[in-house]
Amino acid sequence: MSNSDPLLRLLTDFFNLPPGIPPQEITQQAIASWDSLAMVQLIADLQGTFSVEFDLDEIEALRSYAEIRCALSRKGVSLERPTVSP
Amino acid sequence: MQAVESASLAKIRRALRSLDELAPEQRGPVLAVEILSTFNLEPILPVLQLAFNCLPSRAQVRLAPLDDIEGYISQSASTGSQGLPHARIVAWRVEELLPEALYPFSSGFPEQLAARVDQVLARVERVLSLHQRNAHGVPLFLSTIALPVNFSNPVFAAQHRAGLFASVSRVNQKIYEVATSGAGVHVLDLASWAAFEGRVHADATVDFLARQPLSAKGQVGFALFMARSLRPLITPRRKVLAVDLDNTLWGGVVGEDGLGGLKLGHEFPGNVHLRIQRELLELRNRGVLLVLLSKNNEADVREAFNSLPEMLLKWDDFTVRKIDWNHKHENLREAARELGLGLDSFVFLDDSDYEREQMHQFIPEVLILNESPDPLHTLRSLWETDAFDSLTVTEEDQMRQRDYTVRTARDVEVHQGDLEAFLNSLQMEATIEEIGPANIERALAMIGKTNQFNLTTRRHSRAQLEGMLELPGSIGLALRLRDKFGDQGIVALLLATPAEDNATLAIDSFLVSCRALGRGVEDALWATMVNRANRQKVQKLEAEYRATPKNGIVAGLYDRLGLERIGQNSSSTRYQLEPVVHYPAPTWIGVATKSNER
Repeated sequence: MSNSDPLLRLLTDFFNLPPGIPPQEITQQAIASWDSLAMVQLIADLQGTFSVEFDLDEIEALRSYAEIRCALSRKGVSLERPTVSP
Repeated sequence: MQAVESASLAKIRRALRSLDELAPEQRGPVLAVEILSTFNLEPILPVLQLAFNCLPSRAQVRLAPLDDIEGYISQSASTGSQGLPHARIVAWRVEELLPEALYPFSSGFPEQLAARVDQVLARVERVLSLHQRNAHGVPLFLSTIALPVNFSNPVFAAQHRAGLFASVSRVNQKIYEVATSGAGVHVLDLASWAAFEGRVHADATVDFLARQPLSAKGQVGFALFMARSLRPLITPRRKVLAVDLDNTLWGGVVGEDGLGGLKLGHEFPGNVHLRIQRELLELRNRGVLLVLLSKNNEADVREAFNSLPEMLLKWDDFTVRKIDWNHKHENLREAARELGLGLDSFVFLDDSDYEREQMHQFIPEVLILNESPDPLHTLRSLWETDAFDSLTVTEEDQMRQRDYTVRTARDVEVHQGDLEAFLNSLQMEATIEEIGPANIERALAMIGKTNQFNLTTRRHSRAQLEGMLELPGSIGLALRLRDKFGDQGIVALLLATPAEDNATLAIDSFLVSCRALGRGVEDALWATMVNRANRQKVQKLEAEYRATPKNGIVAGLYDRLGLERIGQNSSSTRYQLEPVVHYPAPTWIGVATKSNER
């Protein structure tokens, strides 16, 4: 995962995480501010940034960097190359 | 601002964090906004906060509990713990306000549905009267309701006067009517905003998830729109548009292409320049002064104004014309001096990159409207700018252009003769009224924007002003001026409130509109105030001059009026007048008093 990973950058900015945080540490359990209110905004931001619409059952499973990454790749979003400008 | 426009919520959070680090004086005035809505705005609170902060302001956005509009308004009056806000917004949408309209055939279409709309109209009235009872004087922004994005049977929805579209339209018509009737009610036009944004403003997923209907892009647009709608409450609009001529008001250069080579008319590209002129004429007619800055021979320009058949703007539509070969920034400074207005009242429009850059370098206070030489871009910048935004346009605004033209003519005459003889020749008649419902809009507008002849520059809200006027023994006077050129409207205000002992009055505000400077109206108003104070058995007047970067013109006013200096620090000089001796009214203004209801 490089710095150009747009999902990593989005989550780091969104939750004000320290730069260079390992992606596996980005989970709802580990981040206190990741409450239901933040979840609503995060979904809106993900849908807007990556131009996708999550299915309702997917929303239940967007609880970590890994799960979001997985859901995005099912929608055909490749995170290897940035899809948004920095 | 970039973060807001990027529509990335992550960037918005980051921008908010860095704004928090700025010093308070860099962040603009405090703006307490209360939002009462039928849908959930809590998730987007940071976005709203950032948009208001970008005005700039130190915004304090308070959200009422979800969909509890009437309950919250009633309760806020009884507790009053947080104090009244500077503005209150009621935002509602069809899904909660009139859900029956989405399912007309399950809701007794057409009669019962029409009756439901009547109930909504009554609710609008009820919310308004509750607000006026409990938060009188606080500007109320009522939202219109947007057409829903998600519903079925859109073709039929337009076919009947009790259908969805007409029902929404009836509610919105009511909102516009309530605002037209005045009384501090304004429209937050979410219906037009949503129409401009299109379907992309909505996100059904988050709506179902949290009753928050806006997409990431929609949230940002919504917040910016809301902030722009409230902006006139804290930011006075710019007063003057200084505009270039060649390749702006017409295509081509008159001195090179000749009259025959100029492009102006109904064909492309002359139609773009014609439309620019139309926009400028509209600005002029609603009170924005036009100044012409052109590097040309004046004779060429006059000839073009006189003989081009398609010219919409006439020579006299420009309050000041500077047509010569001087630097435009020098001419603009001179125009500002002639008009008696600050440089930060000016907006500049010019097709030349060089001229815009030079203006920016020499007078950074001037707002440069356009960024490119392209006429369509120029037109777009006129459509999109918020520099001239206002919530109301008063009669005084509409008269402004004529007043300033008269004023600059007067100033020229003054240099040619004796001042008092000139003032006498104006045949000025002042009528002094009490500040009350009939003139409070004008009084508030003056309090909100007068910078130069303003002794204390206190910006009072409607609630504060009304509160002061209600104090027993307070004096609030407005001076209306008429001269041989016509009615100038209200041009001066004086507001005094009683101190603890009823024998002392403190002057809270004393101001004169810049278009009436140098005519002695302040002497006439002061004389009347002193007489009133005497009648009320006031023993002592207290006054204060609070220096700002703009009000140096009145630094010595109270000395001239015969008050005694009793204290001074770097920003303020305090005065008193004891006993309250008679002050002679100027001989060149006839003064009448008019009592009206308070």
